[in-house]
Amino acid sequence: MAEISDSPSTSKSAEENTQTQTPESDLKTTRNTKPGVKRLIISVTVLFSFILGFPLLWKSIEIYRAPLPFDRIDAFSSQIESKPLSFPCHFQAIFIGFDFDFKVSHDDVGAAIARKMSDLSHGGGCGGCGGNYSVAVAVDRGDINAFDFGEKLRGSDEDADELVKSVVSEYGGGNAYSVVVVNEEGEVRSVVGKYRHAWIVGRVEEEEAVLHVAEVFVKVFVNGGDVEGSVRSEFMPVGADGRIVLSFSLLNADPRDWIYDWNFREIDETLLRPVIEALQPIANITVESQVLYHTPKSSFSYWDDKHGSHMFRTEDLPFFVNSNEWHLDTSVAAGGRSKVLQLVVYIPSAKECPLQLELPNGEISKTNGFISPMWGGVVVWNPQSCIKDFESMDPVRHTISPQDLLKLFEVLMGQLRQLLGLKSDNLYVGESGTSILLGSERGFTEWELDVLSRKHICFNLHSCATTLGSLSRLVQSLPRMIIMDEIGKQVKFSLEAAKFAQSNASIGIYNASAVSSRQSRSLAEDAFFHPSIMSISYYSFEHCFAIYSPFFLPVTMHVLLAALREWKRYKQENRKYLASKAKVKVS
Amino acid sequence: QQQQEEEFTEELLMKPLPDRKVLAHFHFQSEAPLAADESSFARHHHLFPKSISQLVQKYHIKAMELSFTQGRWNYERWGGFDSISSHNAKPPGVELWAVFDVPLHQVDASWKNLTHSLSGLFCASINFLESSTSYSDPEWAFQSALGSLRYGTLPREAVCTENLTPWLKLLPCRDKAGLSSLMDRPSIYKSFYHSQQLHLTMSTDPSDGSRSGIILEQTLTVVLQPNDQKAGMSHLSKTKIQPSWSLSSIFGRKISGRCVLAKLSNVYLHAERSLVNQLENLQKNTVKFAANDTGLEDFRRNAGFELSVTPERVHAELEKSSSILYEYPIKEYTDTEQFDLGLTWVHPIVWSSPHAPLYASRFLMGSGNERGAIAISLKSTEMTQGLVAAYNVEERCKLQVNVLQIVPWYVKVYYHTLQLLVDERPQALTDFVEIMRVSPSEDKVSPGVMELVLQFPCEMKSAVLSIEFDKGFLHIDEYPPDANQGFDIPSAIISFPDFHAGLQFSDKSQSKSPLLSKLQERSPVLSYTEVLLVPLTTPDFSMPYNVITITCTVFALYFGSLLNVLRRRVGEEERLLKNKDANKTVFFRRELAKLSAKLRGRPLELTLPCPSSSSSSSSFVSPKLILRVLLVAGIAVVWQYYSQ
Repeated sequence: MAEISDSPSTSKSAEENTQTQTPESDLKTTRNTKPGVKRLIISVTVLFSFILGFPLLWKSIEIYRAPLPFDRIDAFSSQIESKPLSFPCHFQAIFIGFDFDFKVSHDDVGAAIARKMSDLSHGGGCGGCGGNYSVAVAVDRGDINAFDFGEKLRGSDEDADELVKSVVSEYGGGNAYSVVVVNEEGEVRSVVGKYRHAWIVGRVEEEEAVLHVAEVFVKVFVNGGDVEGSVRSEFMPVGADGRIVLSFSLLNADPRDWIYDWNFREIDETLLRPVIEALQPIANITVESQVLYHTPKSSFSYWDDKHGSHMFRTEDLPFFVNSNEWHLDTSVAAGGRSKVLQLVVYIPSAKECPLQLELPNGEISKTNGFISPMWGGVVVWNPQSCIKDFESMDPVRHTISPQDLLKLFEVLMGQLRQLLGLKSDNLYVGESGTSILLGSERGFTEWELDVLSRKHICFNLHSCATTLGSLSRLVQSLPRMIIMDEIGKQVKFSLEAAKFAQSNASIGIYNASAVSSRQSRSLAEDAFFHPSIMSISYYSFEHCFAIYSPFFLPVTMHVLLAALREWKRYKQENRKYLASKAKVKVS
Repeated sequence: QQQQEEEFTEELLMKPLPDRKVLAHFHFQSEAPLAADESSFARHHHLFPKSISQLVQKYHIKAMELSFTQGRWNYERWGGFDSISSHNAKPPGVELWAVFDVPLHQVDASWKNLTHSLSGLFCASINFLESSTSYSDPEWAFQSALGSLRYGTLPREAVCTENLTPWLKLLPCRDKAGLSSLMDRPSIYKSFYHSQQLHLTMSTDPSDGSRSGIILEQTLTVVLQPNDQKAGMSHLSKTKIQPSWSLSSIFGRKISGRCVLAKLSNVYLHAERSLVNQLENLQKNTVKFAANDTGLEDFRRNAGFELSVTPERVHAELEKSSSILYEYPIKEYTDTEQFDLGLTWVHPIVWSSPHAPLYASRFLMGSGNERGAIAISLKSTEMTQGLVAAYNVEERCKLQVNVLQIVPWYVKVYYHTLQLLVDERPQALTDFVEIMRVSPSEDKVSPGVMELVLQFPCEMKSAVLSIEFDKGFLHIDEYPPDANQGFDIPSAIISFPDFHAGLQFSDKSQSKSPLLSKLQERSPVLSYTEVLLVPLTTPDFSMPYNVITITCTVFALYFGSLLNVLRRRVGEEERLLKNKDANKTVFFRRELAKLSAKLRGRPLELTLPCPSSSSSSSSFVSPKLILRVLLVAGIAVVWQYYSQ
């Protein structure tokens, strides 16, 4: 009886298990119908609409950028840096009273001078004449007697200058730098004229003459008499727009002691006008003047019984200028990026009169003044009498006499020459001796103007290359900055002016080259400091992210997730359908 | 030819005021001749400031006036009919007008460049006057020159020491010597009224006798309160005595030496007409008791006050009982002696300053944030009553009043609503308005300008001009940083062309003093009204960002939810749920079969799975949906926080 009851329950459970297993396996592994694609199409369509809309969004936040010639800027910068600008300089040596025919030929003498010049130039720098020199040598044709010519050259230096000029013209000088060496009995004397020539008179040996000629060529004509031959680019006082404003100020330290005035209009018309005209290729110079009162200096002076005057030392110079009381910089005319050079004449008060500058070696300064590079210069002028008039209630008004004004302006012109990078005195001391440098009534001699032109051409082109390079890097580093057409034009014109300056420099036309280089630098500065550059940050990435992320980040996440899920499910269901079809084939 | 010299003069006018205050008026004048050749003009200077002459040359300025003012001139108590109240009483803030000698199409460009240069020179925000919404070109108020005048004000500009220092830099001696050394900064800026002014005039026609050149007048007008040191003595008399003062007690220092560059260096003490009247009355009473005949000749002492220094000269006007001006040249003092003018009151005196024909005041009417009205009130003073008495016999007299009102563009004035009430009765405009020039404002381009020439009868007591306006809305980036403070409407200018302020001294007192020449100059009486403050509707400045953020969040959530709803498969979900139910049923049945096998068949256990399976299926549906919704919301919130 027990065996019969067990068998019916087992058979019932087996039947039920078989029935339930069949539909479960069907649902999990196979699918009878093809999967639908409606939801997949909806999700993918939304995703594609977002993808297609992205170019429209990108177009709406696009900004205008004028094309800039980056390649030309890079080429120009690398050219300026790698190959120094070379100016063709012609040199000519004229020997009078020498007997070269039986010893050496003219070419050998020229080669010797050129070799010595290469040794002296230390490789040269920007603004020089390059490293390769060629010197033309001429020997007198017997029509000039050395002794008679030497006698004439030892007379007045101005007359000698004109005489040497005519001799140089006879030997085909042109624009070459010339040195005339006269071998005669007497002490050796060397003078550099106010044109492009110099002369050496005296008992000169041949080797000594070669050294002397080479030194005059390199140290004076090429480097301008400056001991440092390289361009001090930080000491070029021309404004970025090519203008210099010379602001002359007469400071009365205490008008209760005395009041001094000057007749500056006459000085402006007689002395300064030739200087301005001479420097026209380098800078556009304007002049203005004022008289200020109650303007004491900041530093202190001490009384010196030995010299009978108040003294201030070189360590007091940084504190001499009283920026609080010396209102020098009120110049509406110097607008924009002009350069103002302050030339100050300081008249001390009664309790500091006379005021002298003591040099570090204990001597008294002859000029009684000093310069500050890129700012200007100060000259202390002491009145004739330091006795204050106590009887009169009103201080007496004086006008500086024309003679004193002339002396003052000699010192001021020397300071201006120093500010521009030249020597302020008239001596050059070299290895082979001392040379006298003649002055010009225009303040600058021909060869000095050549030196200034070369230096300014070099500095302007270098500054232009630096500025354009900075602009190029700035523009390329900020892809979201608007670049206006005006900037593109300025860059193009600047590059053209620079090319023109280089070609004129290689030909040797200094004036045109200086003007072109000034224009190129001015245009480069205008482009770099255009008001639209860096005025606002145009649609920076942070700005775009902050504006668009509150909406697009969550929505894009939804769209992507929806499309991914639909695609995943479609593949899964399709696999089931294919399995079902395979099973049908098998059965 | 004789070269003309540059000149500089310095003068100081002290004047007691009826309300127990003291007026100090510094006047510095520099003159520079025009050079014969134009090339060296504005390039070489001896006394004249270089920056000013360069401004004149660069921008071709014919005349210019710039003032920095804090405080408000009290026309009722300090006077409205003298030279100082017409020339040196200025509205608060910065006021600038300029006349240019350029073609008409270049005037605006010159004005804009001038504002930028002055902004740099004087450490002030004058460059804000560059915008065309900030300046205008009135035609009649300043008797201007054929459309070359430009006028602008900045009522909200704060005036402080950084504006006085560049102003002093223009003086040859600055504040090192002379009268300007009295300018103690704490005293000046604690004053009730402070106005520094720069007036520039180019006289280019030598035919009128004056020299051609630039004339620069720098004036500083201060109203100060002297210390009341004799308060203990006030109980002795009925009326309170005026506080005595001296230069050292007011400014804290004395004049030690003059500016040696000044051609003239004078200090004046001015007693106006009403005060002199009272003094003379007091003198008569005193003479009756004392019978002192020599008292009239003593200048230092009179019945009202005593002067610590004897004046060098006394200027009296032509008429009887006119005002008196005491003159003190500083040239007589050496550097060791210090000049300290002091005035000691010995008797209480009450007097009043001369008034303009009409009191002018201006106020706002209306309430709410939408519209309002501007009212200009003109009340007659005792001067007009005197006019009525004088003219009563001969003919009917008329009082001409010029009104200039400039309103910014965001206050939209409806000029057709202009109303006029004379003696509190409405009148037709055509009966009183002679000339009217209205230039309506243009949004973001130009302010509204109204110029009226009115003729009132002299016996009029009061007149009110009112005009209605709507308060406009600004763009969000046009509001100033403190927008809730309100917006300023510049002062209106009321001028009386028929009345000329100016003293008339006798011929013997003519001198080369520029201040005396200015005091005697016949100039139209001019008054400024109050600066109005209009509260415009200010938006919630953070609301745009809130709106953007909330809207983006809502749209993102909505978009995500909608996309998810579009992807749902309801049938498939139902099938899945059924399969799960079937599995559970099979499980339960298997268990029950085992139990019945053990217990040998109880039919009651088989009926229990049916209700439990239905309840479990209903509970499975709702938690799924809730969890799904919460998950989406959580993800969205996390993304929002991340994106923020």
